Amino acid sequence: MAQPANPHAMAPSRPGRTRTAPPMKPGNWPSSTRYRTYLAFDFTGVIYLLAGFAVLGAARAFAKGPEAWSALLASYRSPLWLLFHALALASVVFVGVRFFGLFPKAQPARIGPAKPPPRPLLHAMLYAAWIGATVLLCAILGGAIL
Amino acid sequence: MSDLKKKTFVVTRFDPDKDQVPKTQSYEIPCRPEWKVLDALNYIKDEVDGTLSHRWSCRMAVCGSCGMMVNGEPKLTCKTALSDYGDHVEIGPLANFPVIRDLVVELEGFMEKFKAVKPWIIRAKEAAPEEGPYRQTPEELAAFKQFSMCINCMLCYSACPVVAQEPDFLGPAAAALGHRYDMDSRDEGAEERNAVFRGDGTIFHCSYANECSEVCPKNVDPAAAINQAKLLAVLDWAKGFVVPRKGAK
Amino acid sequence: MKTLLLKIEPVIWLLFGAGIMLGTILLPGYLLTVGLGAPLGLLPEGALSYERLHGMVSHPLGGLVFRLVLLALIALPLWKGAHHLRHFLIDMGGHGSDAVVAPLLYLVAAVGSVLAILTVVSL
Repeated sequence: MAQPANPHAMAPSRPGRTRTAPPMKPGNWPSSTRYRTYLAFDFTGVIYLLAGFAVLGAARAFAKGPEAWSALLASYRSPLWLLFHALALASVVFVGVRFFGLFPKAQPARIGPAKPPPRPLLHAMLYAAWIGATVLLCAILGGAIL
Repeated sequence: MSDLKKKTFVVTRFDPDKDQVPKTQSYEIPCRPEWKVLDALNYIKDEVDGTLSHRWSCRMAVCGSCGMMVNGEPKLTCKTALSDYGDHVEIGPLANFPVIRDLVVELEGFMEKFKAVKPWIIRAKEAAPEEGPYRQTPEELAAFKQFSMCINCMLCYSACPVVAQEPDFLGPAAAALGHRYDMDSRDEGAEERNAVFRGDGTIFHCSYANECSEVCPKNVDPAAAINQAKLLAVLDWAKGFVVPRKGAK
Repeated sequence: MKTLLLKIEPVIWLLFGAGIMLGTILLPGYLLTVGLGAPLGLLPEGALSYERLHGMVSHPLGGLVFRLVLLALIALPLWKGAHHLRHFLIDMGGHGSDAVVAPLLYLVAAVGSVLAILTVVSL
């Protein structure tokens, strides 16, 4: 069943000659998969906020010294933290796939003399950077290099 | 006659003189297999209920008149095949617009947003006729051609989650058209339009849902246009700190 | 407030853009190691030991890179998060309270960013 939209959505600045029925949102919101995916995409904002503060907490623990750092790493073994980190990972991957798909077409055809790479190439470059940075960070933090 | 199939159409009705709120009315009619939704509506109006009001014109997806909600999705009814649907089809007026009557929506709000982006070539000085036409390379044309294909059918406004919530938002078609002119090598009005893009109708409230581009029947890709426009508006803003603005504002 | 929000929009958008781009690129590496690999015992012994990480932080050039990446990992996702949460709330019908909610969310991101800078400098 369609829900009402903002009562002033698409309203003219001066009323017309007859009474109008108020604007309604599309009938297939919120059940449509595409719309729900979009809402989920915006909702990942919550995850990113929490993730940012979580990394801040880790950095502050590290700044306090070895005991605080060990205690933090130990606390990450709890089911709640594991769940949060797994959820954060899933959210970041979801955001990446959607955002990197939308990014190439958001580049103007030219800015002055500069032109962006062709869209498929740009898409591939984004994934290369993503995978490359992930592999590098895993290698460094995982102890394989440095 | 055996290829005729009965289908039921649940159509939103609203008469401002009689109805407090819109209601639905069901029509069961015989449909030909090759019909579009518009054919069914015209049959209903011609043969069953002459009071039904709906807009349509070209029947070939170039005029943009026949936009309506079909099973909850914005569609051009002249381009939407009945064979894509079952025996029960719901037809309503375009979402996110005030409704004048039945399937006819108030378009004046869009016209105001449309005019606000100054959809014409803005130049400090027009070239003299003796100088001949403005010349444009195929590459310069390609920079904006896609965005010029808009037929103002308003399906994008019905699909946009921001239009549904924010009355001031410029919306997909208006923003895409403004960007079309910004990308036109003959135009010099980007600074003026960026002021509109960053005004009360700010394009930055576009949350890149991409719904507009999903429903656009002419592959204009307004989502691409708006998000390109955001980058250009930010670059213009940044440039303003380094290079003095030309002309007093 | 609405005028102020419109005025700072390019800055917010740039921070949001950096957040979604760099946050998304950098977070999986951190989450796979610190968030999941270490707690699940998948990393080699001593990989995330204080001594090893402190050695990286103290390196003259490497330490600067480490701090900058850490700063990006903390601050940038906050701006992506604040901006998207703001839009999520508008999607849920919160347009009327946006003039209050938006500055609040951006303030949270700003406070987090300042704390991030202070923490990263103090490592």
